[in-house]
Amino acid sequence: MKAIPHKRSREVEAWLKKELVEQKKRYKKIVAEQDALAPKRDKWVAEFLQRIQTRGTHVHWDQMRKVRPEEIPVKPKRKFRVVF
Amino acid sequence: MARPHIEPFVDRDVPFKKMTLPGFPKGMQYKMLSIDTDNGACSMTVLFEPGYKQPPGMSYTEYELFIMTGSITVGEKVHGPGSYLFVPAGVAIEALTSPRGATGLLFYNHGEPSFVESDSDHPRAERDRFAAVNAYENMQWTSTNFFPATAPGCLVKVLRFDQRTHAFTFLYCMTPNFWQDNISYHDCVEEAYHIWGTSWMMQFGDLPTGGYFWRPPYINHGAFGCKLGTLAIGRTDSQLYNHFHFNPWTTPEENQERAASRLLHRNPELYKWVNTHGHNHPIDFDYDHGHAHGDTPHHHGDGRVDHGHKKKKRRRR
Repeated sequence: MKAIPHKRSREVEAWLKKELVEQKKRYKKIVAEQDALAPKRDKWVAEFLQRIQTRGTHVHWDQMRKVRPEEIPVKPKRKFRVVF
Repeated sequence: MARPHIEPFVDRDVPFKKMTLPGFPKGMQYKMLSIDTDNGACSMTVLFEPGYKQPPGMSYTEYELFIMTGSITVGEKVHGPGSYLFVPAGVAIEALTSPRGATGLLFYNHGEPSFVESDSDHPRAERDRFAAVNAYENMQWTSTNFFPATAPGCLVKVLRFDQRTHAFTFLYCMTPNFWQDNISYHDCVEEAYHIWGTSWMMQFGDLPTGGYFWRPPYINHGAFGCKLGTLAIGRTDSQLYNHFHFNPWTTPEENQERAASRLLHRNPELYKWVNTHGHNHPIDFDYDHGHAHGDTPHHHGDGRVDHGHKKKKRRRR
């Protein structure tokens, strides 16, 4: 029994509505902040793709393998989204 | 669980609000971290003001409470920092007080926050599932038991494990100079809150103390790094499997396809059965056959798992 069925009061419905509106605002703010982070992220990604060719990428626990240059993925033309 | 992708969010950037929902006593404040748009289930940072008093009572949904600072007293037992309580729906806990105040995290798992004054359990309560532990004083750090595993330096304390879904709640820490150079995603929802410390992820940057995320399945995160160490609490809604890779630009849809392909290679017989069995309604002999109620996702060979059934009487065996 994860939850016991019950009827919500008007006050509870109003509280939920308000919280959901605030969450939408929070989500939009996060998306905007993450879009603004794009230049830094591109730099971090470039450094990561370099490191996994020299030091390697983790595959399990402390086991790592070096990635061959031909395995390095190519950035697609679509927008790089990190928040979905 | 229908919550949007909230990542990252830092609760230190927003003020506490008074809890005004009916039933809750005065003196409780909260910051909303995330809330389910369907059923009102939510995760909140909470503040119990000094002198807070709550009579014995229950909630309509199960909830989890983790104490970060200060202490609460439930009945005669004092729960200080590191205390974790799992309270099933309808289980009445004794009077809760906080003479000097406390902060914590409160997770309502399947419905909106509710409090009903009562000194006895609801008839449908499952009291045997109640759990309480002090994770700082009575548990030790262990390595993760995931295969493939996170890199050395990420340790866990499992606070609760659901034997059916493999959902779990856990403390985790990253040691100073922890790093993991891969990208990960999971088949489950993952949620976490930084109790102390800052860690870094290639997609989102730094997540400091008070940092939080609610991440739906199949979303890339990592590489990872942590300079000075981090203590955090995490939760999943089902089994956590580390799908590692190194392509920063894949989408959740591509990741999901890959996860299915990997299932084919790791569990070929199961994959074949799930794909080809005429009725495709897995029955777990440990549990009710949900089909009688139409409450278990399944399809009839057409792959559509979103259809429903009218309620039928349970079959007698």
